[in-house]
Amino acid sequence: MSTAWIAISAMALIGVGLPIGMITLSSLLRPSVPEDGKRQTYESGEIPTGGTRFRFNVQYYMVALLFVIFDVETAFIFPWVVTYRDALEGGPSVVAVLAPMLAFLGILIVGLVWAWRNGAVSWARSETTDWRSTQNQ
Amino acid sequence: MVPQTVATAMPLPDAISDLFGLGDLGLIGQAITAFVAAFLIANVLLVMAAFAGPWGKRKIFADFSDRYAITEHGPWGLFIIPAAAIQLMSKELIVPKGVDRPAWDIAPIIMVFSAIFGFAVIPMGSGIHLADPEVGLLFAFAIASLSTLGMMIAGYASDNKFALMGGLRATAQNIAYEIPLIVTGASVILYTGSLQMSEIVAVQAETLVQLGPISIPAWFAFVNPFAFVLFLAAGMAEVGRNPFDVPEAPTEIVAGYQTEYSSIYFVLVYLSEFLHIFLAGAIMATLFLGGPAGPGPAALGIVWFLAKVVAFFLLTQWFRTAMPRVRIDQLIEIGWKGLLVLSFANLLLTAGIVGVFFA
Repeated sequence: MSTAWIAISAMALIGVGLPIGMITLSSLLRPSVPEDGKRQTYESGEIPTGGTRFRFNVQYYMVALLFVIFDVETAFIFPWVVTYRDALEGGPSVVAVLAPMLAFLGILIVGLVWAWRNGAVSWARSETTDWRSTQNQ
Repeated sequence: MVPQTVATAMPLPDAISDLFGLGDLGLIGQAITAFVAAFLIANVLLVMAAFAGPWGKRKIFADFSDRYAITEHGPWGLFIIPAAAIQLMSKELIVPKGVDRPAWDIAPIIMVFSAIFGFAVIPMGSGIHLADPEVGLLFAFAIASLSTLGMMIAGYASDNKFALMGGLRATAQNIAYEIPLIVTGASVILYTGSLQMSEIVAVQAETLVQLGPISIPAWFAFVNPFAFVLFLAAGMAEVGRNPFDVPEAPTEIVAGYQTEYSSIYFVLVYLSEFLHIFLAGAIMATLFLGGPAGPGPAALGIVWFLAKVVAFFLLTQWFRTAMPRVRIDQLIEIGWKGLLVLSFANLLLTAGIVGVFFA
């Protein structure tokens, strides 16, 4: 293990310590007068209508699944990009080094096209929403 | 190849150790010098954020919209910075009734942490480079994306509908644009062949074209401008600036995930936003603009580096005044249907460029 990670750990400590230090310093300076009206949830000055712990439609939840797939895939791309230039120095042609990654990306792109055509990356229309009601009459 | 000033795994701590003639101190000594160096870098960042936040942003915005701003406080209104610091520190912290207490407190800490931590591997020139691990770039990407977690926690723990919506938007946006960002970043690695930050900078110091007395360096932005534009767009979305500022969208959802944060937590959330802009600018400068490279002696590196970072900050402010905001559904389509496809095209294009011209 290189000494770089000692410095990185030091930065991590600073990164946590700095905000905590600022919060501590501020807690020494600031007043605390909790009142009922002040502690209302902010809803643009209106009386709040219920909490946020209810079921609602996240219109773009499918992108979360896509993200997992593509994020793992970027992890597979990195070894290839790091070795790419060294592999070319050895003498093989560009095509020989590029072809395996082309095949890999090709499979992914087929998957993306499938998701695209199925509407996974577009705004899912909720059955309960009447779209016309939001249009200008 | 330009002679490298950076040779050790943690250049700045080692330089500090040399400066005081501490020699070989073993593990404890290394830890202490590393801590001092990290503290110095964090303070540089804080000073930059202090200038950018209460003063620079307002001045720039006023200039863009033909107004005056901050004219009363000292020369060029600079005294607003200490005034704002004291004011914000001593504001009452209002804790709304419904918040999930530990989570609501942790979220701003995570956001600031991810922004500061990312700078651990950034080479800032003039020997200011905290750590230089072999996986440098990957580390920077991994840490920078932690802030999404903070935004999501903030949005959910606030028990506020605007905050929840902002948190969800922030998550959707950050995951959509992270992949184009990382794939475009990977295309730079095709060219440099190493994830180590000092190596990335060193490769870009080579000469690309010689035009008479002027030699154009092989900055990756010159080698493949297409990648630079893609990275700029994805980076702009990743830090949530216009035209991609839907997570906050002041005219739609108040302030998004930061609606319920006041006092010092407000400061931390804003601090993390500015630091993330700087971090995005720093990664961009390192990958595409030769890091601390520039005319003049190598000791000026930090100046050039900061100039590049500030240029990115100015760009975000310019876009803020000039660009309309995209809708959330447009945002998701631009990310998944536009930038993602383009970033893969760019990866193959770069593989071609490197294979044909630089092999």
